[in-house]
Amino acid sequence: MNRQNDSTLPVSGRIAAITPMTADTRYYRIERLYRTASWGTFTPGQFFQISIPGGGEFPATPTCIPQKNGALEFCVRNVGHVTAMLQAADVGDQVGIRGPFGTGFPVFEMRDRDILLLAGGLGIAPLHSLLAHLLEHRSDYGDITLMYGAREPGQILFREELAQLACRQDIRIMLTVDFLTENLPGELTCNVGLLPALLKGVQFQPANTYVAVCGPPPLYRCLVEELAAAGFPDRQILFSLERRMQCGTGRCSHCAIGLHLCCMDGPVFRWQTLRQIEGAL
Amino acid sequence: MSTYGLKKESLPDFVAALARFGEVHGPTVTDDGVPVFRAINTAAELQLDYRRTLLPPKKYLLPSTETLLAFSTGKGYRIPAVPDQTIILFGLHPCDLAGIAYLDRVFLGDEPDPHYKSRRERTVLVGVTCEQDEFCFCDASAFPSSVGGDIFMTDTPEGYHLAASSPRGAEILAGIPMLTSTSPLPPAATESTPLLEIIEKCTARGETFSDSPLWQEFADRCLSCGACSLCCPTCYCFDVREYGLLDGKSAERIREWDNCLFKVHGVVAGGYNFRQTRAERFQYRFSHKYLGFGPLRGVVSCVGCGRCREVCPVRIDLLELFQESP
Repeated sequence: MNRQNDSTLPVSGRIAAITPMTADTRYYRIERLYRTASWGTFTPGQFFQISIPGGGEFPATPTCIPQKNGALEFCVRNVGHVTAMLQAADVGDQVGIRGPFGTGFPVFEMRDRDILLLAGGLGIAPLHSLLAHLLEHRSDYGDITLMYGAREPGQILFREELAQLACRQDIRIMLTVDFLTENLPGELTCNVGLLPALLKGVQFQPANTYVAVCGPPPLYRCLVEELAAAGFPDRQILFSLERRMQCGTGRCSHCAIGLHLCCMDGPVFRWQTLRQIEGAL
Repeated sequence: MSTYGLKKESLPDFVAALARFGEVHGPTVTDDGVPVFRAINTAAELQLDYRRTLLPPKKYLLPSTETLLAFSTGKGYRIPAVPDQTIILFGLHPCDLAGIAYLDRVFLGDEPDPHYKSRRERTVLVGVTCEQDEFCFCDASAFPSSVGGDIFMTDTPEGYHLAASSPRGAEILAGIPMLTSTSPLPPAATESTPLLEIIEKCTARGETFSDSPLWQEFADRCLSCGACSLCCPTCYCFDVREYGLLDGKSAERIREWDNCLFKVHGVVAGGYNFRQTRAERFQYRFSHKYLGFGPLRGVVSCVGCGRCREVCPVRIDLLELFQESP
């Protein structure tokens, strides 16, 4: 049952684990019950469509890298009627999975280069997958820096993991919050202010660096000028964009950015492509 | 391919013969005076001299609402069966054939859409020549050979000239004994209409008319009713929704015609709208129609049927953009 044609037919899966991350955001591990053609393969930055029976589908990028058992991990915020139904679901409940869809981060092209990850809010989710890939193949990449901004300390996702990573010598983790409403639990230290301010204080070798950015649209708009001014080449600035992908197969036509379809040509785009498109960010 | 002659007075017999291959649908006029494609019982119901139907024949391949998936607890999602009745779509104008040829490229591409595919496989397309009016602007003389379909009928003073344009069409025509074999018509001289030439020139250079004041003029008049894309033979945007059924164990996922002129079309999770203004939504429609998205970038999908120009209640005509162009 449901073994092929996973681009239009959701494959049955079950929720294997749920972990609350913030008041409205939870981490889910989903196991697929049947093997598909694309079993266990995807590139960080590609997305899947998750079906909640009776509710519908929403697109989400895994936070993990491909796993042998085909399990997928997602970080989902309750923002609409389908994600609200997921939030009401329990471990063991049935869901559907289609995908992977789209174009992810060019992880092979990024080899031997320094990597700067810029995440705002829930934008850490797709970048977490890329980060996991980079760490899995640590020796293939140069310096890795993660700059992650959240509204307030309680909104920082993956806190424990980030605290552990902060102890490693081969990765630089920099956190910032808009408002310091409480003391940060655990070992983490963070700045107060916006991501662009954090970026200004650090030296990079722009020509040798790939920048991967994911966050809310206002973040892109204020970061892109900073990045260009700092001398990062347009083709090495990568944005993971959000649109309303419904079909994932380039047909429903909700997700066009200029003449590119976010579900096929994206969701990861180079600034080189986007800079000519009005309203892309 | 094989060609046949058909006397005009024999048309009813030909339609009756076609009915042996499937249910015949063709252009008729409803009691309210609306030209529509629908099932016919006899050729007398046909209005073959029609200008254009209100809705294009895409409704046969992409119904306005269609069940995509059925879910039941334990069995998961499955694709429901589509009725297997063959439909003979009779009397399609070249523009509508071109519209279907474009939809074929969208839905039968690399990974065919299973629903579209099964409907398309049981649809036979019979085209017919037409007369242009003040709304349409296709290059009809260039069409019959290039737009596909299964059978094409050319209206001549001596009667209809029938040509098979697919193996399926040839098989059907060969199975109708009343037809007389004739020699093929000489190829018609292809002459492009001036408007079509301008569209080709503008789209070839990727013209978006981004500075044109017309966008704002259109936006100020537009009612966001969406009639232009509902009646467009190549508009195929769809919305996907899912409903739980009352037994609490099953659900149905549907797709429904969507419309890029509707405000919610560009909304993402959390409520941000990437196409907040009407002018932006017009530009989106223009880009899709004349420049093409994704794998169909560079393919003009306007077939010149003239429906959008006829139905717009406030007389908005995107083609004015081209008419202003040098």
